[in-house]
Amino acid sequence: MRRALSYAWLLALFTVPIWLQDQYLLHVAIVTGIFIIAAMSLNLLLGYTGQLSLGHVGFFGIGAYASALAAVGFDVDVFGHTFVHDPWPVPAAFAIGTAVAGLCGYLIGKLSFRVRGAYFVIVTVSFAEVVRIVAVNWVDLTQGPLAVTNIPPFAFALPAIGRYTLYSKVSNYYLVLLVATAAYVTIKRLVGSRIGRAMIALRENEQLAVSVGIDVTRYLVLAAVVSAAMAGAAGSLYAHYIRIVDPDIFVFLYTVTMVIMVITGGKGTLAGPIVGGLIFGFVPVVGRSFASPEVQWILYGGLMILVVFLLPQGITPAVRRLAAARIAPRPNGNLDVLPDASQAGGR
Amino acid sequence: MDQLLQHLVNAVVLGGTYALLGIGLTLIFGIMRVVNFTHGELYAFGAYAVYWFVATSGVNFFLAIPLAIAAGLLLGAAVEYLLLRPMRGADIDTTMLVMIGAWIVMQNSEMIVWGGVAKSITTPFPESPLVVGPVSVSWLRLFALGFALLLIAGTYVLINRTKLGKAMRATFQDSDTAALMGVNIRAIHTATFAIGSGLAAAAGALLGPVFLVEPTMGDLASLKAFAIVILGGLGNVTGATIGGFALALVEEMGAGYVSSGYRDAMGFAIIIVVLLIKPTGLFARAERVG
Amino acid sequence: MTRRTSGVAGLAVALLIGALAARPEAQQTIKVGVIQPLTGAFAASGTYVSNGARIAADEINAAGGVLGRKIELVVEDNKSNPTEAASVAEKLIVRDKVPVLMGAWGSSLTLAVMPKLMEYQVPMLVETSSSDKITTIGNPFVFRISPPSSVEATGFARMIDQLKIGKADFLVVNNDWGLGTADQFTRMFKAHNIKVGLVENMAQNAQDMSAQLAKIKASDADTLIVTTAVEQLTLVFKQAAALGLKRRIITTGGSQVPDQLIEQAGGAANGTSHIAFFAPWNPDLSADPARARAFIAEWKKRGYAFAGLTESFRGYDGIRTIAAAITKAGKPDAAAIRTAFWTVELTGLGGKIKFNKVGPAGMESGQSICDIFLVRIENGKVVVPKA
Repeated sequence: MRRALSYAWLLALFTVPIWLQDQYLLHVAIVTGIFIIAAMSLNLLLGYTGQLSLGHVGFFGIGAYASALAAVGFDVDVFGHTFVHDPWPVPAAFAIGTAVAGLCGYLIGKLSFRVRGAYFVIVTVSFAEVVRIVAVNWVDLTQGPLAVTNIPPFAFALPAIGRYTLYSKVSNYYLVLLVATAAYVTIKRLVGSRIGRAMIALRENEQLAVSVGIDVTRYLVLAAVVSAAMAGAAGSLYAHYIRIVDPDIFVFLYTVTMVIMVITGGKGTLAGPIVGGLIFGFVPVVGRSFASPEVQWILYGGLMILVVFLLPQGITPAVRRLAAARIAPRPNGNLDVLPDASQAGGR
Repeated sequence: MDQLLQHLVNAVVLGGTYALLGIGLTLIFGIMRVVNFTHGELYAFGAYAVYWFVATSGVNFFLAIPLAIAAGLLLGAAVEYLLLRPMRGADIDTTMLVMIGAWIVMQNSEMIVWGGVAKSITTPFPESPLVVGPVSVSWLRLFALGFALLLIAGTYVLINRTKLGKAMRATFQDSDTAALMGVNIRAIHTATFAIGSGLAAAAGALLGPVFLVEPTMGDLASLKAFAIVILGGLGNVTGATIGGFALALVEEMGAGYVSSGYRDAMGFAIIIVVLLIKPTGLFARAERVG
Repeated sequence: MTRRTSGVAGLAVALLIGALAARPEAQQTIKVGVIQPLTGAFAASGTYVSNGARIAADEINAAGGVLGRKIELVVEDNKSNPTEAASVAEKLIVRDKVPVLMGAWGSSLTLAVMPKLMEYQVPMLVETSSSDKITTIGNPFVFRISPPSSVEATGFARMIDQLKIGKADFLVVNNDWGLGTADQFTRMFKAHNIKVGLVENMAQNAQDMSAQLAKIKASDADTLIVTTAVEQLTLVFKQAAALGLKRRIITTGGSQVPDQLIEQAGGAANGTSHIAFFAPWNPDLSADPARARAFIAEWKKRGYAFAGLTESFRGYDGIRTIAAAITKAGKPDAAAIRTAFWTVELTGLGGKIKFNKVGPAGMESGQSICDIFLVRIENGKVVVPKA
């Protein structure tokens, strides 16, 4: 039944460009979709492994820059030796962006998981800031504040059909939908597997997990790599859709946006980041006519505080509980605890 | 050589205010274990308060600064009472998220009230600097340093010589035992957050007139404060003081001799390096309040 | 998710999107998109330009509007950020369906918007940006009334003899504007046998330039050329004075807002010179003195700071030029307006406005010439050369 529902949703999303003729709203949908992918990746670290990584925009931005630079080409002088890179086709650049971000995730994971709690938070925030400052100053490579411009859009060269470039919004929408679906399925599989259960065990009680023999660092690093790679993929989509990337892509504000999406939507649930993403992607567009961006942000901040106070698990589990209460309560003993293990208390 | 001296002087002057930022946060972080993202906003609040007193209300500059600090104390106490007290017992992640929410609300409120254009605060000091040999320092910055040192000394006395300070130290060491010994933990938490916020506001009040006052000025300050806390060790006031001066020194020397663009990255690079080598902070064995 | 929650969620989202899509379109006014930095490092300047634009729009509407309809300015904030500039340009073109734009103040911001102009074939009037790239890169939708750095350099070349510059250092903001200025002025200096020393740069929201200034203090040049916006200039002057830097300082770009410098930097601003493109202290120097007086009076009447006049005139001239183009085009259509720009001729506050073809053949942009002044700040007052 659940699976049929998921397919129904997918079909519905597939038909969106057919009835949504407004190009601007389609644009909003695409950008929201990209941020939902990033939010899902953050959810993996934040919700499932319980690691409060606040430098996530670093992976997003690195993916964007790596992909953009791979596709546009660059030449840099490193210690007197000139390194020239010719433009590569965009799908290759996308792979590069994902890979580079994933590599950074590996490094950050390996290095940072030695520190815990608040210190880990600070390290991740610092990481994103350092990357931003490097992007601003290493003008040779990144163009600094002048921004990387004229980034080519996605283009596929298929043997039979020939070259197809994604100029239109409709085509970009489907690309984002494709990647988002892939991301969702990846997370679902990961979380439902042995690895996923280990991650959740880590989140719930790390010492207990270690005593049972779960290799903490290995699973955290794995989560970091997948999470970072996914964020990098989202960044790459962003770069080739918006077609301009500047160091402000690394601002803390984007991390905060993703965090708000995950927390209010429901961390540790599959649907949480999607719900959160849809809300915070579209509400600003509606709100634009009623309230200035500053007022909106105040409302989001307030909303986040309220959610943390009243609905610490987020909206999705609360709605689910509400719905479950209406249907006849099942006797205990259902093993429906994983993968959306939000019922576990203690948070 | 001349340049070196000038950089040193600049570093010392900046270090005083950095130390204030760091001490404020190390108290909050150390005693309350809260990842306080609003620290930078209190810094900005202090600067805007001075601007309001001086530019809009015509208050004397030297009076505006203590008033701004007092306002910061009150605001800190209010934030603690409204947002953190109900969260007592929640884990560090949850309180951090609340602090992020508060940070968003505060910064955007500042934007609405003051607008996005940067503000300049006129001071009664002459423009021409004090020149000692090859080195020049502006009178305003000297004043800022002096006032900062005063506040640092005052905080030191507070922590080590007063009953309140004793209670704070006890709470830091072991809050359960402190509670059993009769310490009102809730009051201590409010006092700690207020004092910490007041110090952040002081740093903003002193640096605001030196540079410009604009709504996002707190973001970088927040992160630098964390760098100083990690350098100095959680809850360690002496460590934070040294850390503040150390960070300013690294920034100045780095900007002068390596690259001015990477100036702000120095602090973060320090955080990352220190935590990787010594995950509990540089002065870890001295991890105590005072 | 359970059926019920999915159903509710789906319905909510569909309603939301439906509500957004079914907005009524306003037909009565002619919309003109304005992209300016209203927050961020350039907020002061962007606000001045927008207010100047509004005065022009109100004036035009009071006189009957354009083609019998009123102009409506849709002003968007680019937050001093290139990605945001491109984003709001897209929004203005796709959602608000504006047939013409004005913007985006900073060179990097304008360059970020330009691909959108090509993509959607909408013309834009560039009122402030100075990077030469804007008109040489080959974008036929760009029409600029502000001078590029190369023209600024040429105009300045006429004055260097009396200034007797031997060697110059640069301190510029690290974006297209600053770096482009350093580049063009260096070329001009070299052509006039003037040596160029240090070329230091600063990030647009950097507040502490003492490191760069300390280096400059140690150099042997006699002149320092500074290019950035007024907020950062204030800091540069104050910090230069605090370091005891005694050198002739000349600023470029026209966004110095000298009166604000005097107010905020105080004595630190004395002795500095500024390249400006409009001199509100002496309206007779303007190409249209009567209109300049009227504009200054209206600006004061609205309670804006006098200091902002040195920039707001650009917004004023820009909107008037756009209105003239729409009138010539005969309809609020992007393609017609673009063609009309080439035939527009009017006298703005900053000079005679008429677009010449510049750039690669077939893809020329429009560039108009304007006046250049060198003003000095002495004893807390702005001194302007006699006409």
